[in-house]
Parts: sequence; structure tokens; C-alpha cells
Amino acid sequence: MGFQLKKLAYTKSYRILRGNLWKDHPVSCGVLGMCLTLGVSNKVANAIAIGIGFTFVLVVTAATISAMRNLIPKRARVIIYMIVISSFVIIVDRFLKAFFPAVAEALGPYIGLIITSCILMGRLEEFSMKNNVYYSMLDAFSSGMAFAYTLLILSVIREFFGFGTILDVKVTPAWWTNWVVLGMAPGAFFVLSIYLWITRTLAKVDPQKLGHLHG
Amino acid sequence: MRDNLRMIFFVVILGMLLSAVIFAVNSLTAPRIAKNDESTMKRTILEAHAISYQEKDLETAFNQNIDVVKKGEKTYYVTKNKDIAFEFNGSGLWGPIRGVISLASDLLTIKKIMIIHQEETAGLGGRLAERKYLSGFENKKFMPTIEIVNRRRAEKDNEVDGITGATLTSKAFERLINAQVTSAVAAYRR
Repeated sequence: MGFQLKKLAYTKSYRILRGNLWKDHPVSCGVLGMCLTLGVSNKVANAIAIGIGFTFVLVVTAATISAMRNLIPKRARVIIYMIVISSFVIIVDRFLKAFFPAVAEALGPYIGLIITSCILMGRLEEFSMKNNVYYSMLDAFSSGMAFAYTLLILSVIREFFGFGTILDVKVTPAWWTNWVVLGMAPGAFFVLSIYLWITRTLAKVDPQKLGHLHG
Repeated sequence: MRDNLRMIFFVVILGMLLSAVIFAVNSLTAPRIAKNDESTMKRTILEAHAISYQEKDLETAFNQNIDVVKKGEKTYYVTKNKDIAFEFNGSGLWGPIRGVISLASDLLTIKKIMIIHQEETAGLGGRLAERKYLSGFENKKFMPTIEIVNRRRAEKDNEVDGITGATLTSKAFERLINAQVTSAVAAYRR
């Protein structure tokens, strides 16, 4: 058993998962995707929708780019990432508008902002261009999930204190006064920085050694 | 040269392929999106006229209670006792504001204001869309226009309290609602 576990620790899949979900976490460690992290972590419902939409876009773009990686002309690669990413983001946008209109209205401009997220560009440039489709999808999925769970944690804190609700259900007692600032953008900075402090300490991130940052 | 051609060729082909996919997704979802927008509008109109309905009977409730009257380019939603409602839109401080207003049959008294879309600052100007704030407009009269007042309480029939910390949104909304209602009512009377 111990032997098998030890062997597992050296597989590429394990290293990808461990890196993206904890050690080289795109938000905690890379401080990437800040715009979305600050913007949509105000309500749990928004965080879940963006988390799923984001992961979907990341997985399909990573698979597409990885499948084409030997055909893509090197000098035009960034423009090609942009074309592929924006196409899939438009698809997600239309899908949400058609089937979840309330969520689409709440997210407003943030769905379009997935296009500009540096987590996407970073993973495509750093990983999908160099690895096969299977590993690229695994990498994309774990990066997306890492982003999604961070959004979820931040949004639970912000929605609870800022609005007194979780998933729009009132959970605080009647005497509770909402900390409105946590629902707004400035509040996101407070919560995020405390979150980064805690996770970076726990993951033993050494700021001096962050030179290898992916993207 | 060959490399450049290959590069352009690749980008164009990929762009065309993805455009085809987007085109397909769009034509599949467009009818549904249009229907969602229509239902949102109907729900808003019914709520603006304070007509209760069950979600599954939305269509019947709307058809039974509301007459759709078109005058020029504007559409009016008229109830049996001649109360009217119509859509208004214009710019707030940061972005477009869109909603529905219903007026009693004298065409002066506000029954209800509903906001469908706004992009004002969350927690400040964004409170414009809260029921608690919008209810301050109920039973106020356009005599001659609505005034949103700051630094004192609204007293007269045409005065409404502003939003603290969102003076510019309040001002923008005052301008928007007066201009839209004046022109819409004039067009309706004609």
C-alpha cells in the first residue's frame, strides 16, 4: 500500500493535480485571475456559475489548443488562443442566457471577462502548447476547480457577512447588521488578502522562489 | 513569406470554423433567449399593475388582463380600468437603466416602478433597484414633474427622497424618468 502511494506521488497526473489545487494554486500562489476573483465573489450563486463556466471554457480551450499544438504557427499563437477562448466564452454566454436567464443577468459583464482572465492564457501558453490532450485537460480541469473552490470560499464569507444570506437564503438573525462593504469591491480586497495570507502560509509558498510562475 | 501565408491561412480557417460553431449555437439559442426576454417583460408588466398570477399561467394572466396598445413606436400595456404601463430606458450614472412604470388612469399618478436592468454602484446607486426605495415613488404625481430631493425629507406630492451617497444616480434617474414619462404620456394622449 505504502509502496503504491509512493509510486502515485511520482505520476505526472498526481503532480498536476497537487500543483494546481494547492502548491501552485493559480489564485493563492500565482495571484492570477484577480479581476474575476474580486468581481464575482460577492454571492455564492455567482461564484458557482462563474466557477463552472470558467472550468468549462478552460477545459475545452485547453483540449482544442493541445490537439492543434503541432499545427499552430508559433508567432500567431496568442491570437489563436484569443480566438478560441472568446468563441467558447460566447457559447457559455448564450447558453446561460437561454437556460439560466436569472444567473446571466446577475453575472452581467463578468461572463465576457472570462476572456481576459490570465489563468486561461497562462495555462494554454505554459501547459497545453507542450502537453498532450489528456494531460492538458487534466491540468485545465484542476486549475478551473482550484479557481472555483477559491471563489466559493470567498463568496460564502462575503455573502454571509455582506448580505446576511447564503444562496439568497437569509441565515443571519434579525438583529444582524450587514457589513455592506464586504458585498462591494473594496471588501473583496480585505477578504482576498486575508485568504492569501492564510493559504500561502499553509502551503509554505516562498515568495523568493516564485520566479517559475506559470503565466 | 511561405510562413506568413501559412500563418494567415491557419488563423482565417480557424476563425471561420469557430464562427460556424458560434452561428449554430446562436441560432439554436436565439428563440429561447427571445422567449425569456418576453416572459421577463410580461412578468414585469403584471407586477407593475399589481396583478397576481401563477408562474405557469403567465401567458393567460397576461392575455386576460392586459391590452397591448401600440402608438407610434411605443407600446403601452393597458388594464381594464385604463391604468397604463410602459417601458422606459435611458442612461443612469454608469450605464443604461431599463424598467417599467405603471400610471393610474389619470396618467399622472405613479402606481409602481420596476427596474429590469441597471449598472449603478452596488450598495449605493444600485439600491435604486430595491423595492424599499422604489416604493417611495408610489402614489407620487407628475405635477408637473417628479423631483428627487436631497438633504431633506420629501413632502410634496411630486417629491421623492434621493439615495444617500448616490446623488448623481438620483439626479440621472430623475432626468430619465421625467423625460421618458412626459414624452410617453404625450404620445399616448395623442
